[in-house]
Amino acid sequence: MNEIQFIGEHLIYGNLGHLAVTISFGTAIIATIAYLFAANNPQQTSWGKIATAAFYTHTVAVLGIIFMLFLIIRLHLFEYHYAWQHSSTDLPLEYMVSCFWEGQEGSFLLWIFWHVVIGNILLRTAKSWKFEVMAVVMLCQIALTSMLIGVKILGYKLGSSPFELLRNAVEGPIFKQANYLSKIKDGNGLNPLLQNYWMVIHPPTLFFGFATTIVPFAYAIASLWKRDFTGWIKPALPWGLISVMVLGTGIIMGGFWAYESLSFGGYWAWDPVENASLVPWLILIAGVHVMIIYKTTGNSLIVGMILIMATFLLVLYATFLTRSGILGNASVHSFTDLGMSGQLLVFLFMFIILAIVMLVLRWKELPRSSKDEDAYTREFWMFIGSLVLAISAFQVFATTSLPVVNKIFGTNWAPPSDVIAHYNKWQMPLAILIAILTGVGQLLKYKTNTRKALISILTQAAVAIVLSVVAMFAFELTNWFYVGLMFAAVYAICANIAAMLPYITGKLKMTGSHVAHVGFAILLIGVLVSSANKRVISNNQSGMQLNPEFDAQANMEHVFLERGKPLRMDQYEIEYKGDSVNWVNNYYQVRYKKIGADNKVLYEFDLFPNAQINPKMGLVANPDTKHYISHDVFTYVSSVPKEKSTKFVHEKTHEVKPGDTIYTNNGYVILERVNSNVKEATDIKNLSLLIAAELKVVTLDGVYQASPMYGIRDNAEVKFESIVEEAKLRFRFMGVNPQTQTISIEVAEQDTSGDYIIMKAIVFPWINLVWAGTIIMIVGFLLAIWRRLQEYKRTAEA
Amino acid sequence: MKKIHIVVIVLIALSIGAILSTYGDASTYEGFRVAAENPEKEYHVVGVLNKEKPRLYNPQENANLFTFYLIDEKGVESKVVYNAPEPADFERSEKVVIIGQMREGYFQANKILLKCPSKYNEGQAPKG
Repeated sequence: MNEIQFIGEHLIYGNLGHLAVTISFGTAIIATIAYLFAANNPQQTSWGKIATAAFYTHTVAVLGIIFMLFLIIRLHLFEYHYAWQHSSTDLPLEYMVSCFWEGQEGSFLLWIFWHVVIGNILLRTAKSWKFEVMAVVMLCQIALTSMLIGVKILGYKLGSSPFELLRNAVEGPIFKQANYLSKIKDGNGLNPLLQNYWMVIHPPTLFFGFATTIVPFAYAIASLWKRDFTGWIKPALPWGLISVMVLGTGIIMGGFWAYESLSFGGYWAWDPVENASLVPWLILIAGVHVMIIYKTTGNSLIVGMILIMATFLLVLYATFLTRSGILGNASVHSFTDLGMSGQLLVFLFMFIILAIVMLVLRWKELPRSSKDEDAYTREFWMFIGSLVLAISAFQVFATTSLPVVNKIFGTNWAPPSDVIAHYNKWQMPLAILIAILTGVGQLLKYKTNTRKALISILTQAAVAIVLSVVAMFAFELTNWFYVGLMFAAVYAICANIAAMLPYITGKLKMTGSHVAHVGFAILLIGVLVSSANKRVISNNQSGMQLNPEFDAQANMEHVFLERGKPLRMDQYEIEYKGDSVNWVNNYYQVRYKKIGADNKVLYEFDLFPNAQINPKMGLVANPDTKHYISHDVFTYVSSVPKEKSTKFVHEKTHEVKPGDTIYTNNGYVILERVNSNVKEATDIKNLSLLIAAELKVVTLDGVYQASPMYGIRDNAEVKFESIVEEAKLRFRFMGVNPQTQTISIEVAEQDTSGDYIIMKAIVFPWINLVWAGTIIMIVGFLLAIWRRLQEYKRTAEA
Repeated sequence: MKKIHIVVIVLIALSIGAILSTYGDASTYEGFRVAAENPEKEYHVVGVLNKEKPRLYNPQENANLFTFYLIDEKGVESKVVYNAPEPADFERSEKVVIIGQMREGYFQANKILLKCPSKYNEGQAPKG
């Protein structure tokens, strides 16, 4: 068979891209080996030089891959599968950036990129740890870049290339034609759910968080390798904190994106994909606390190391879960299976084995304390708190891993049918413990304490009891678990503020932990109040008898709203005012009027929930939310009619003179004048007469113009109707009556019975505390990072 | 015994508790027959939509009532009631997962998950 010469393909971009992938893979291998030898032969400087050269080449190659992939998307080169699958010509530039990481290959690339950035920083800051740490980072780069190779080796396809040609990736008769490319006008486009501002910044943040977890891991491995069990803490601690901060920000950004643009109504759904990134974050927080314990007291090194190494391994596990297709029915948003499960497992086990082997080799040499711990110290309760965090992570891990258990043992377990209740029953008591421990720990000192500490612990508890009772009534908490959590969070705030006071003047950088704990406690209160008092306000209020055959207790949470017909819903009167189109989205205007006592309208606002009628996914709803300080009103459209009626009904003819008024169902109309000199008529031929009725249409919402026209052509009447969309009225000029000096105007109303939306609305009280708590927590992390960086600098200089 | 030992014991107990609770709360993927035998339990039923039988959603009458017929993986058919609007693109779904329990003559679904062939635009050949 002759090879077809395809027309119009730009193969150079893909070839350069492939080349860059191959170079990055090759240099990762060279760099890893060279760093390994450099670490083991400190006398020979040549290994270090080779390693550094390989690393810089690797850096350039990775930037090259990114540049080429972006060009392919930007230039709409649909001969490439990646561009065709994830982008389309009508996307704005910022969303083209999102296309970049919509697919697996692009998101691996993002991760690889962050490792390169981190590697460049480590090369300059890791000092005597440089070779060992870089060897671990580059080992990971070998695994990651291998995911992008996409070449068959011995019958096994290694990785999946982002530069695969469409004609090789997808089968179809169209690829038998040399000019197939001229027939592919556009790509598949970006998933509408990802067409959101947050999707531009959430993935890079989250992946930066994932990427940073390798640094504490690499330092832990390096410390075992070098038998320096103390020196790694100071350089690794700022990285651990950076990782906690960035990963936490990334996770909560994901939650914020879900809240702002998904219609499940909330920021957290205990979806396996969310859980997969939450678990390493919790373990990392536990690990960082234990590192600090070890740094201050010399205890608990082994636990700290295990937690720090587990964090990175859990990130790899999360990668396996979300990318191997194993979640299948359990998650709505995992990636498509690219048949890389085997490779992902190798990646995961490579590092699990590395961590275990290193620990086992040095197990006997690791320092440990033999005396019993004193319970009246900060380190004791900090340690307990870390273990509680680990249990919390383990519980999430156990339930999220059900699909893996099914795969291994051939069982058919499904996630709990009420996931929220399942997680709450564990996570709420654990959160209560953690919040209380953040307070107790901070009020105690390391090593030895006097009675003063106990007194302040109890004093703060008394203050917190009073305040939380107030909060209980203010937030109308009825469940005792909620009250317990409220107390714990309030206690955490009081105790941390009390512990912070001595540092506030002059030693601000010492307050990082206090600020972060206060932020965490505020976040807990936000989560508690916004979910405990979350209120679906769109309950069925039609008064219609529901079919008794069906479950009377089932939730009727969606409301039918016909255009122009206001409805009372909870404390609001809502009205669907109409829809408008912008780009690919349909916006539905819903007016909310807050009704107070004696039915007075207190204030009103409009929401524009939108829906995209996507050719591939059907109706994709995007909510709209009105934010107030104390609550949010969240609304989304769950269904719209397939076709809107264009009929007009209730035609009525009125005999009017200029100046006369016609009353309509939603206002009135004034005939201003009859114009016999119509300019628009120039393109209408053979008319012997053309006159227009100039009407002023007044409704509650505005004033509009309409001018229906009447003409005569070849002794026959011609009528040009005029429709005022906003007023839902149609006007026709029916005729002239010379006797009475009047004209006949027919007014018809648009048939709105087929113009409706089905919507759901939820009020989230105090959800702003979730975001405020997050921001305060981030500020706390920043302070802590500042402090630990300065500590590291001081030792590095000394 | 050191305090740390007590802590370790509590830790192990809690971990076992967490695992047990996962299986205690977990639902299972079953067919309509098993669901009918245990009407008090909630199940995940995987199946395909019966396109021959009526799929009813009439929002003017009741915006919170959608009924359809599903054939589970063992070939058993049941009427399904869902108290929410018809999910987008329902008729094009390849596979439907419903979560809920059996009632007299119908399955009450509390949640519906769809497996659409096009969801993440996989596997379609370009037109042309």
